[in-house]
Amino acid sequence: METLNLLADGFAVALTPTNLMLALLGCFLGTLIGSLPGLGPVNGVAILIPVAFSLELDPTSALILLSCIYYGCMYGGRISSILLNIPGDEPAIMTTLDGYPMAKAGKASEALAISAVASFIGATFATIGLTLFAPMLASVAIHFGPSDYFALYVMAFATIGGITGANPFKTLIAAFLGLMIASVGLDPGTGVARFTFDSFHLYDGFDPIVAIVGLFAISEVLMYLEKMDQLPDKMVPLGRAIPKMKDILSGGWAYMRGSVIGFVSGVLPGAGASLGAFLSYIGEQRWSDKDGSFGKGNPKGVAAPEAGNNSASGGALIPMLTLGVPGSGTTAVMLALLISLNIQPGPLLFERQPDIVWGLIAALYIANVVLLLLNIPLISLFTRMLSMPQWILMPFVVMVSFMGIYSISHSTFDLLVMVGFGVLGYILRKIGVSLVPIILGLLLGADMENNLRRSLSISDGNFAILFQSPIALTLYAITAIMLCLSFYLAFRKRRGAESAP
Amino acid sequence: MTDRIVGLVLLAAAIWYGLTAGTYEASFGDPLGPAAFPVMLSVPVAVLSLFLLLRPDANPDWPRGAALLRQLAAICILVSYALLLERLGFLLITFVAVALLGRLLGSQWHKSAVSGAVVSLVLFLTFDRVLGLPLPALPEFMS
Repeated sequence: METLNLLADGFAVALTPTNLMLALLGCFLGTLIGSLPGLGPVNGVAILIPVAFSLELDPTSALILLSCIYYGCMYGGRISSILLNIPGDEPAIMTTLDGYPMAKAGKASEALAISAVASFIGATFATIGLTLFAPMLASVAIHFGPSDYFALYVMAFATIGGITGANPFKTLIAAFLGLMIASVGLDPGTGVARFTFDSFHLYDGFDPIVAIVGLFAISEVLMYLEKMDQLPDKMVPLGRAIPKMKDILSGGWAYMRGSVIGFVSGVLPGAGASLGAFLSYIGEQRWSDKDGSFGKGNPKGVAAPEAGNNSASGGALIPMLTLGVPGSGTTAVMLALLISLNIQPGPLLFERQPDIVWGLIAALYIANVVLLLLNIPLISLFTRMLSMPQWILMPFVVMVSFMGIYSISHSTFDLLVMVGFGVLGYILRKIGVSLVPIILGLLLGADMENNLRRSLSISDGNFAILFQSPIALTLYAITAIMLCLSFYLAFRKRRGAESAP
Repeated sequence: MTDRIVGLVLLAAAIWYGLTAGTYEASFGDPLGPAAFPVMLSVPVAVLSLFLLLRPDANPDWPRGAALLRQLAAICILVSYALLLERLGFLLITFVAVALLGRLLGSQWHKSAVSGAVVSLVLFLTFDRVLGLPLPALPEFMS
């Protein structure tokens, strides 16, 4: 019951006129950004962080605005997947498999409505889960000592994206690369300047937001410049504007199954929305594909991954808020935002600043309802965004990124750093290295080192303390299992690829 | 081949990183000091880079010809933007950069010039006037 009271307080925060307006604005902007082709949720949230700063909002309001943008982007991302066959980000890939064929068969508005309802059910399910489980996890996490946190970070790095099938060596390299980049700057413990090349610009280290905007937004421009000669799939016309109820109901239990699978994979630290969408789709295919119509426009093949994807994004907020370990690219960006607002996520956040946590959770409930209402009647407005030519969109995005970064520090050095990260991000994407672990390393590196040093000063330099608490040992055991699994899967995939003709 | 080169670069970077970190000393503070964590990072990176050297993935398709030129041109535009922003002022440099980027992205000169003018005005009004973030509007010699 205590949870309900806290939630009621949260609604009191979220329903103040300013916050409600910000939530509405965030939902609208988010859907708009999400529906722009090639501009996924990570880009959308990252570019708008500096803008949200400049509004000089208090932390709760800023967080509500950006979370609504985040949820809005997840809703909007499906539009280009279905109508253009271009996924806005990795989790949306699974939606293209049945969404685009459905649209080509003249059922575009049905596919969009099913995916909107699926997004709503998935995200609401996850928000309810967040309400119930986040306080529980926070009350467990309060017993974590420094060595347990160190083990938790090890687990997050070892497992992030590891079971989605990318080369696990490269994922690990990416995490270490992020940690290395994070160590640049003055060492907080002793004030020694590390890897600064005597340049005072580097004394503060690399701002994660500069790195994120560069890695994602600028590398996207380079990607597009490479691919622009290849003609994309043609946009499918929308057809009937308002779909029939019967078509929406054809998703059936796939909505719920997708939500549950998605939620579980979202909560695992380091796994995230891509895994949620992937497992939901595979699971639904096993469950209900009797006639081989998956991949040819089966409505359940749209409902399940879209519910899974949104449910996982909500679920990923649990480890992010309670432990400070994000589970996906976008929650990593949200973590960057929290840190820049001087909010340290973790179990203490629930005790000391309950209005932030519960205001945010209440805002997510409101956002879901608003987004469902926005996305069904106004869908034709958002689909018009898809025909925006890239030569208008891309330069605009680049300039907003430049201005956002410049407004943080008024330093053109940061702009150069951003371009540098853009080139780095492009090269890494080309060679199949995921960018999310880099962000995670960059964000958590300082904390990981602090916890290591704190636990060793407790034990006076004896490394055995790292393996003494039962919590840490459990976390290491999970890490070992997940690592073995990911290497086994990668090995099997590689052998499969070699034996195939 | 690409993976082997990356592996080699990474190996060199890890060795340099570990050796540099090893020289950091502090006479006070915790028992671990500023050197230990970076040194601990450099070892697994070196080992992982060996895997890249020994078991590389297939080569990605690197861009050639026109695509590569477009990318290089875009990077030049972005770097020049960063270097010239404060000297030339926001309005002028944004107009030029957006127009050039638009041209690179396949539009015609007159269209991308219009887009440049609109973007630079709209962003200036939004950031400088509405959001209250002062931008260097005009070239240095005029203000």
